[in-house]
Amino acid sequence: MKPAAFEYFAPKSVEEAILLLAADDQACPLAGGQSLAPMMNLRLARPSALIDLNRIVDLAGVTEREDRLLIGAMTRQAELLRNPLVTRRAPLVAQALALVGHPATRARGTMGGSLSNADPAAELPVVMLALDAEFILRGPSGERRIKVEDFLIGMFETAIGPGELLIAIDIPSARSDDVSVFLEISRRHGDFAVVSVAANLSLADGLICTSARLALGGTAPAPLRCKTAEAVLVGQELSDRVISDCVDAIDPATIEMESHGASKAYRLQATRVLTRRALQAARLRSGAAA
Amino acid sequence: MIGSRTLRVEDMRFLRGEGCYVADRQLPFMAEAMIVRSPHAHAHIVKIDLTKALAMPGVLAAVAARDLPASVKPIPCRIPTHGDVTPFLQPILAHDVVRYVGEPVAVVVAATRALAEDAAELVDIEWDTLPQITTVQDAARADTVRIHERGNVATAWSIDIGDVDVAFEAASVKITHKFKTGRQTGLPLETRGILASYDSGRRYLEVFGPTKIPHINRRMLAAMLDIPEGSIRFVEPDVGGSFGVRGEFYPEDFLVPWLSMRLRTPIRWIEDRFEHFAAINHSRQAEFEVTASADADGRLTAFELHLMSDMGAYMRTHGDVVPSYIAAGFTGPYRVRNYRAKASALLTNKSPTGTIRSPGTFEANFARERMVDMLAEKLGMDSVELRRKNLIRPTELPWKVGTIGGGHPTVYDSGDFPAIFERALTEFGWTTAPACADGRTGRGISVSVEPSALGVFESARIDIGVDGFVRVVTGCTSQGQGQETILAQVAAETLTVPIDRIAVIHGDTGEIAFGGGTNASRAAVMAGNAVHAAAVSVKEKALRAVAIKLECVETDLVLQNGRVEIAGAPGSGLALGEVARLLLPGDPQLLPSSEARVQPDHGGLTATNMVRGVPSGTSVFAVHLAEVEVDRELGLIRVKRLLVACDIGRAINPMIVEGQVVGGAIQGLGCALLEEITHDEQGQLQTATLADYLVPNSYDAPTVKAVIIEQALSPSNPLGVKGVGEVGPTGVGAAIGNAIADALQVQDCIDELPISPERLLRAMGGLAA
Repeated sequence: MKPAAFEYFAPKSVEEAILLLAADDQACPLAGGQSLAPMMNLRLARPSALIDLNRIVDLAGVTEREDRLLIGAMTRQAELLRNPLVTRRAPLVAQALALVGHPATRARGTMGGSLSNADPAAELPVVMLALDAEFILRGPSGERRIKVEDFLIGMFETAIGPGELLIAIDIPSARSDDVSVFLEISRRHGDFAVVSVAANLSLADGLICTSARLALGGTAPAPLRCKTAEAVLVGQELSDRVISDCVDAIDPATIEMESHGASKAYRLQATRVLTRRALQAARLRSGAAA
Repeated sequence: MIGSRTLRVEDMRFLRGEGCYVADRQLPFMAEAMIVRSPHAHAHIVKIDLTKALAMPGVLAAVAARDLPASVKPIPCRIPTHGDVTPFLQPILAHDVVRYVGEPVAVVVAATRALAEDAAELVDIEWDTLPQITTVQDAARADTVRIHERGNVATAWSIDIGDVDVAFEAASVKITHKFKTGRQTGLPLETRGILASYDSGRRYLEVFGPTKIPHINRRMLAAMLDIPEGSIRFVEPDVGGSFGVRGEFYPEDFLVPWLSMRLRTPIRWIEDRFEHFAAINHSRQAEFEVTASADADGRLTAFELHLMSDMGAYMRTHGDVVPSYIAAGFTGPYRVRNYRAKASALLTNKSPTGTIRSPGTFEANFARERMVDMLAEKLGMDSVELRRKNLIRPTELPWKVGTIGGGHPTVYDSGDFPAIFERALTEFGWTTAPACADGRTGRGISVSVEPSALGVFESARIDIGVDGFVRVVTGCTSQGQGQETILAQVAAETLTVPIDRIAVIHGDTGEIAFGGGTNASRAAVMAGNAVHAAAVSVKEKALRAVAIKLECVETDLVLQNGRVEIAGAPGSGLALGEVARLLLPGDPQLLPSSEARVQPDHGGLTATNMVRGVPSGTSVFAVHLAEVEVDRELGLIRVKRLLVACDIGRAINPMIVEGQVVGGAIQGLGCALLEEITHDEQGQLQTATLADYLVPNSYDAPTVKAVIIEQALSPSNPLGVKGVGEVGPTGVGAAIGNAIADALQVQDCIDELPISPERLLRAMGGLAA
């Protein structure tokens, strides 16, 4: 479990990093290294060079701008978890991060690293889809901003182009009538999710659902928004019947993934149960708030 | 000292990061080895081309089977139990056919491990793949692929005790059910590793890293290398766990020392986690068909077992002992005298198997105890009552089952099973009323007998220096269990010396000539009694010497506070260090007169003792109780409480005993719910990382209550102790299985371990096929 030989660069600025990345299409940026390093040790990843982003100070940090939250790609998961801005303005992120790995992996692991890796079982991509996040990428030809649906393309696949770097994630701040719930099934605490559900709802007066985003993880190669199920919720009170209709609207065909010990049938059932429980929890939380 | 909760003397160095494991050792000019392993489950090796690997800068050697000395034979089976397994033994390196993914086919040695891994990629092998067998059902078919020339059935045997047919005929309830237990391994935190260093001038080979049974493996290596056993020294460094898997003679145990001799340079091989999952011995995978009967009063009358055990691709060091234990101990702690079994050890194209903690017993307890609960339901009887009625009575001990497991007669030597059963129920707060009929919460019981302290002998030496410091040298080994503490306690008890003046040396063939090692829960019993015997011998020697010196009789003397004193006169006599000086060879103090011309040869204050084992070892009766909560929609299981009660005769260190039981119970929980090595239909290993092979973590571990009972001293040994290492896991699968069935209020659906969420939902019929 020793990696194949590679070169190592430790740039001090984003510009320098982009130049290095653009110069070598087999080079790979190194963020927290919690997935990349093991993959290199198993020789499943064989980058020709590592562009270590850990010395680029302005890639880390969380800033609030009006009704949005800008999270630097190199912000550590542990830092996000203890940042009051995140707890208040992006509670869905905080909920999910508590289930991401362990204190040791969160101390190194970053927001941008996890999202760029796009593991189909990871929690953060599902959360970003539920939050309608935008991704800021910078490359040799400048900066661009893309929607989460366009960023997460497939299994370990994103829209990051050659020489491009994920700089920051821009998410709308939670408003007072927003309720969000993240639930997952993992065999053990801290493991990647078998399936996960992120529900991000607006409940007018804590009652009528005015908008809904339901994102599912572990069902398809990339996180999936369940628009038919969302449509059932909008304009409705979260009654048992509406919740049940919403759950029924999850199409079995959306389940593409399967693995030993978690077949499509199990994933479908688990997704439906988690969705129901997430909506019930949302109802309970908004009730508590109202 | 015996019986005190002495803090573990080894913990200080482990907690400070001062432990020294094989990977911490480096020697000048040391090179590193990488094993090239088969990517196929079954294939002909058409050609192995090493030229590119050999040409790579930094590479010292690349070898294949053709390079091995002609004298090298396949790895012998140490315990052939149910017949000759010679046709099924594993070669050190595969020469014409590979039979499992991960089988060693070549070795590359380079200046660093990274270079060796690079070079391994340059080894060019041409394969001709063959159809593979991955299940025992397929292996048993007559018209199938033959993994070995002699077929796929390594051994088959039967047991027939009493009259099962008559019992079945007369029974008022008789049920048959099938069970499966999954493939698992011991998963020590530290992978295996060997550092071999050959001094060609002195013709002396030192091997760091072997553990569990170094003396026996040294003998095997000497035979394979065709060099004197005495020219090899095996040294056990600190070891990060074994759980049964570290004692086989593995291919690397030959390859690394042999390469060091061949290259005349130290060679180190540190197994990485990825190869560990294919290279380490697996265990537990078996299929059971059990029939059990009872009469109308709830008296168990007979068991019948059909067992098919999945041995993997070869019969290795431990042969068929695991299925042997399953079949031999299947009747458990019940007064059942009618028992019939047909067992077979079948070969498949998967990693070879051996022992892991509670070998065979964990699996057998699951199948039997689930059957007992099913019988209780059929009888309309409370499962506690059914067990109560059928446990072996104290007056019936020793109970001879009449079977032989792994070459040992199955005998339960001592204890009061019913009393311990009642005590366990009380400690758990088990009430007669059902726990809670909410369909979520359930309770389960397992009763079992765990054999321990197997093996022929153990040896120990005690040396007391003129400085008064004590060295205890033992033939047993330690993989973290606490031998350095408990053996010091045993010595301290007799020698009346504080523990910080006692050093325990273990696992070093250069220090002691004989050793049986640490396995089968034997260290406390066998090494403990050997140390005790040596301490008694040293004490007697000291008393004799002081009696001569003080011109008194030995019966006037006592050993207390590390001094041999005249009884009733504290401070008189000599400290043990002074006695050691008295007994130094050539020391003139004990000369009969100053004119005597012959210098005495006192031989030092030292003694070496051997203790013999009882063939059947000692047995520990254990009760496991579990309470679980089942999420019926998701198939998730939360273990709320786990209790293990056992009679261990005498606890040398109750804290260490509890640690063994609690840790073992958590390991059992992994075996019950999480741990499973899987292969796909092509025989590819699917669980080769710690993200795939799941062991319990601290978040998910419930509180385990260990009820340690010192009720019946074992009659098998002077200290009266019983082995406790494998009691923890043994009944956990059974108790959890029964608790889940109790929660679901459906008895016949839990029949496969581990119980994964999906498996549970399917068993409940709660998931579309």
